[in-house]
Amino acid sequence: MNRHATIWLWRAASFAVAASFIALWQLIANLKLVSPVFLPGPDRAWASLVRGFSNGDLWSKLAGTLEHMAYGWLAASIAGIAIGAIIGSSRIMRTYVAPSLEFLRPLPVSAIIPVAIAMLGLTQAMALFVIAFGAIWPIMLATIHGFAAVEPRLYEVARSLQMSRLAVIFKVALPSASPDILAGMRLSLTVALILSVVCEILAGLDGLGHWVLLSARAFRSADLFAGVILLGVTGYVTSVAMSMAEHRLLAWQASQR
Amino acid sequence: MANAAKRFEVIPGQPRPQIAFTEVTLQLGGKTIIENLSLGVRAGEFLCVVGASGCGKTTALRLAAGLYQPTSGRVDFDGQLMLHPRREIAIVFQDYGKALLPWRTAAGNVSLALEAGGMPSAERPARIEELLRTVGLPGHAGKYPAEMSGGMQQRLQIARCLAQEPKTLLMDEPFGALDAMTRQGLQDEVLALVAASGATVIFVTHDLDEAIYLGDRVIGLLPHPGRIGIELAVNLPRPRDQLSTREHPEFLRLRRQLFDFIKATEQ
Ligand SMILES: Nc1ncnc2c1ncn2[C@@H]1O[C@H](COP(=O)(O)OP(=O)(O)OP(=O)(O)O)[C@@H](O)[C@H]1O
Ligand SMILES: [Mg+2]
Repeated sequence: MNRHATIWLWRAASFAVAASFIALWQLIANLKLVSPVFLPGPDRAWASLVRGFSNGDLWSKLAGTLEHMAYGWLAASIAGIAIGAIIGSSRIMRTYVAPSLEFLRPLPVSAIIPVAIAMLGLTQAMALFVIAFGAIWPIMLATIHGFAAVEPRLYEVARSLQMSRLAVIFKVALPSASPDILAGMRLSLTVALILSVVCEILAGLDGLGHWVLLSARAFRSADLFAGVILLGVTGYVTSVAMSMAEHRLLAWQASQR
Repeated sequence: MANAAKRFEVIPGQPRPQIAFTEVTLQLGGKTIIENLSLGVRAGEFLCVVGASGCGKTTALRLAAGLYQPTSGRVDFDGQLMLHPRREIAIVFQDYGKALLPWRTAAGNVSLALEAGGMPSAERPARIEELLRTVGLPGHAGKYPAEMSGGMQQRLQIARCLAQEPKTLLMDEPFGALDAMTRQGLQDEVLALVAASGATVIFVTHDLDEAIYLGDRVIGLLPHPGRIGIELAVNLPRPRDQLSTREHPEFLRLRRQLFDFIKATEQ
């Protein structure tokens, strides 16, 4: 009962903060403290959003961004889990490969972009490569950690059951590492969204990044803000969806605490 | 050939031991943990192993499971050199919390052993239900290990081991972490299960009473390095009974003898 009351209080408080933020924004716009060319009020941004969706422009841009994000993220997930599993399940691999990873990991993805453009041009393939490259790290490192942290006792159980190598991976190691892997995948989601926008801006690919860039160039500030708001919502919704999926997949963990 | 000569001799008229340690020495990290251990366990025997903490009981059990390979000497199972763990030998670990899959329900954990044994999925549910009933966990099939008490988790681990249909059951202080009441209940259940299945058992415990109560034979290990210090045949009638067996003069005599042995090793 008490817990519920606290949760509602928090929700009401965060709603109030958001509402007052929008009110402040409206006030600044109405008083023209910043030129309307740069700062539309929330009313104008909202109108632009509605217009964009009703004539279908924003739908197609949103679809483009979601597509870039999804392909890059999925490629990163598959590759990241596979490579992470190979490295994480062998101590020898961990000692030899981990230092190289430590060298590559802090490398900013922005440093890879010119290389990718030089090799692949301003293409979808370049975008896919850059997004996947950026998004793979959290997943791969989480998978390595998850595989390295499997309870050794469980491997002994598997040995005394004479389970096949494949069965050990799918029935013991992967499920055991799944909380780490899913957390890594959630982090990567944000990285994938950011890099999708960056690639769309750089390569002029169809998507919200491109929309935002064109709106800014044409001084259509309302459209620009509509795009930015939509990107924020996309990041939030995908992250919440991922959290819900995690919650479902890791239901067994709820009972552990 | 030299090795063959050292092998556990098959004595005419006596059955070949199911598990045979022949002059087994094991070194780990440059330290000799077990030295020159020879031991035969016949099929259907209930052997209990006691000894001070750190004397090598767990290590000896892991050798019997095939989880360790001896540095010298040999371990045979059914007359065959033990080169790796096998499904016919089930091991009940002391730390049941670590030996169960936390993401699988009770039914799923039992199922793991059935899957490994290649049982078709259609036949599994009935067998799982039967096994859970055998260990006193009917109606808990859908629970996760974390939702179960220590005693229930240990029962579940025993159910998974029984699902292997083992010829040999190795138990490493299986009830060490449980309270006295739960422990006595489980002792009787294990005796009944073993009597029903005819499995051979090696049971490690630091509880001397438990060892005598359960075993056909009790061996006491000496530490640094681990070797056999005492061997006692337990000629107490079966089925055993928590009250009358423990009051039996023979029980008290064995208890005294084992107690003196342990006290001497600890000095
Ligand atoms: N992997 C290992 N490497 C080096 N030494 C080990 C290893 N495993 C066990 N030992 C040592 O071997 C000795 C026997 O260990 P073991 O676990 O078999 O004892 P135990 O009789 O089961 O003790 P307890 O009653 O405390 O469980 C101990 O001194 C321990 O420190
Ligand atoms: Mg031990």
